[in-house]
Amino acid sequence: MQEMKQRRARSRRRATQREAARELRRGRSTLAVLTTSALALIPGLAERASAQAQESGWSLQYGYSMYSEGSIAASKVIAGSRKRYEIDTHQFKLGAPIGGNILLGLDVTYEKMTGASPWLIQPNLAGDPVVIMTGASIEDARTDFLGSVTYVGEKSRTSITGGASIEDDYTSINFGFNREKDFNEKATTLSWGIGFATDESDPNSTSFTPDPQKHHKKSGSFSVGLAQVLDRASVVQSSITLQYADGFLSDPYKLVSSGNVNLVEQRPGTRTQLAWLSRYRRHFERVNASLHADYQFNWDTWGTIANTLELGWHQELFRLLTLSPSVRYYSQSAANFYAPYFAAGLVAGDNASSDYRLSPYGAIAMKLRADLSLGDLLKLPSARIGVQFEHYQSGKEFALGGVATENPALVDFDVLMVTLRTGF
Amino acid sequence: MTLRTVEHGAALVRRFKAMGSPCELQLYGARAEVAARAAQAEVARLEAKYSRYREDSLATRINRSAGDPAGVEVDSETARLLDYAATAWRESGGRFDVTSGILRRVWNFKAGRVPTREEVGALLPLIGWGQLEWRAPRLVLPRRGMEIDFGGYVKEYAADLAAARCRELGVRHGLVDLGGDLAVIGPHPDGRAWRIGVRDPRAPERALLHLALTGGGVATSGDYERCMVVDGMRYGHILDPRTGWPVDGLASVTVVADACLVAGTLTTSAMLRGESGGAWLDALDVASVWVDTAGRVGGRLARGLRATAMPAMRGAERAALRP
Repeated sequence: MQEMKQRRARSRRRATQREAARELRRGRSTLAVLTTSALALIPGLAERASAQAQESGWSLQYGYSMYSEGSIAASKVIAGSRKRYEIDTHQFKLGAPIGGNILLGLDVTYEKMTGASPWLIQPNLAGDPVVIMTGASIEDARTDFLGSVTYVGEKSRTSITGGASIEDDYTSINFGFNREKDFNEKATTLSWGIGFATDESDPNSTSFTPDPQKHHKKSGSFSVGLAQVLDRASVVQSSITLQYADGFLSDPYKLVSSGNVNLVEQRPGTRTQLAWLSRYRRHFERVNASLHADYQFNWDTWGTIANTLELGWHQELFRLLTLSPSVRYYSQSAANFYAPYFAAGLVAGDNASSDYRLSPYGAIAMKLRADLSLGDLLKLPSARIGVQFEHYQSGKEFALGGVATENPALVDFDVLMVTLRTGF
Repeated sequence: MTLRTVEHGAALVRRFKAMGSPCELQLYGARAEVAARAAQAEVARLEAKYSRYREDSLATRINRSAGDPAGVEVDSETARLLDYAATAWRESGGRFDVTSGILRRVWNFKAGRVPTREEVGALLPLIGWGQLEWRAPRLVLPRRGMEIDFGGYVKEYAADLAAARCRELGVRHGLVDLGGDLAVIGPHPDGRAWRIGVRDPRAPERALLHLALTGGGVATSGDYERCMVVDGMRYGHILDPRTGWPVDGLASVTVVADACLVAGTLTTSAMLRGESGGAWLDALDVASVWVDTAGRVGGRLARGLRATAMPAMRGAERAALRP
């Protein structure tokens, strides 16, 4: 009796399985039969069908870059290593859609730097400024996390971001809120955002700082921008960012020379910066290329004024490759407390810095980028690989107006970057 | 966001009304303007040819021949559309039926009146693809009063054809949208997929999920668009040609297929299967997302969506989704 029941249950189960298998076979053929029938109706469907690929909206990117500063000229160094920074950077970016309207983003950057940096500038016997570098032993790593949540609406995007940057001797935490809204059938986009950051530096490399104590910095920023599609081939965007920082804004690893004494550099306790960025893009359909022209004006309460102009040409070739050469010009004036070295009489607490980044100078950067689509090869429509090389050169000869004394620590560098991106 | 698009030339956006729906073309490239004109003309041509509202349309000519044993001779495009209708009828188990349009005579969703059993029953003898004599190029509608309605699939076909026309004219990146029936010409020029929102039938202003497509076609059927409630009973606009009465069970079905036409046939056929429509699509291994009238979400495209779809649902519906 028991056995019969079991046998009947088994046979029922088998019948259900057979039915399911039949249904599946029939089902698969239904789709194929309909598609075959549609092939007779729609020209070119066969080719288009093979291109059908779905992405879930996930995106993944990995980038590696090698940044290498040129060695400083022997004639400009009186002590320390001539070999300057080399930075290896690994960056991972992940984009994940959650439900219909929310995008999550996570960026993780890991940097490892080695090399020496300018420590102190002194006059030599002829009165020309020369550099004392730190030893080549500096080795540092930085890890940076940035998370974002974006709500994508029909005509607006709203995002909040949160991030942290962690180094052995430096920690920074930041938050931001950004909103974009489209008007005029998406021809006009208004955007605005606010951001906050709080930083703590805890200098530990005692041999190079006489000031090993914790310092804090807080900063806030506000930006507003407008993008306008001019016609089908061109668009302009302009944005203004205002940033205010309060706290310890000096570099604890840099000294200044005043007569026969060396002091820790000292910068003002607040800084207000204004950046006005304008961008223009124009596409040339005939040659399948576009022109990028960007101009940025920077001003701050430390007295520096900077102008940046960047021109780029993005040429698409054979639908697979985009080659983008570009050139960037930069010029800035000095901060009002900057000098390569100071006359005797400076006392601790006076604002004074010899940092080359606050000196008057100009720079030219040339960049070539190649992007190759791997879509057909990998059957992932948005898979692509990008390789970029940049050469940057700075000096007093590039500066607008004249510069009497060039900071001897001005830097030249090369960057090689490879990125792999895919969506699935 | 806007800046990135222009790096490759902004899309030409052309909006127009056709086939009773708002339509939109988004095309990239030097030939976009020419292609948009050609695509719009193609849609207008099909509307003029297959609209049952037009006195001078081929559809009207075919329907006027009902009862005439000599029938009508049709052109090759119509012949292939009829061949497709025959295939769809067979594959849907007699549910997808181009002869069922006459049920409209008794089912008026705007008036909000439910017909009597007799009224519906009187029409049934005039419905059924199987009753037609179709031997290309001749079609015979054997009884007076019979009708063919191309409206059930000509919009999807038009989307595919408009996309094909654009490709013939050299457009490789673009999207054709005829009132929610979509044919993708190709991804954005930078390789990005088109993000296509699928409405949540429980909250139509909200997206249930977004599809990211670089090719193929998409169609959606839903009963939230047109339905009526009479004496507390809900009547959807999906009418079963075999009974003449509305089929209930699914609130919305979206299908992605190689062609919009195929996607549309599958959504209609699934809706007509009522509660088992979702399981049918899943058994077909079709890329779909469906929501039934109880609020359950399913389909291959909905995988991974279940957790996020939950907040829109009530507790009981949420419990039903647990594995």
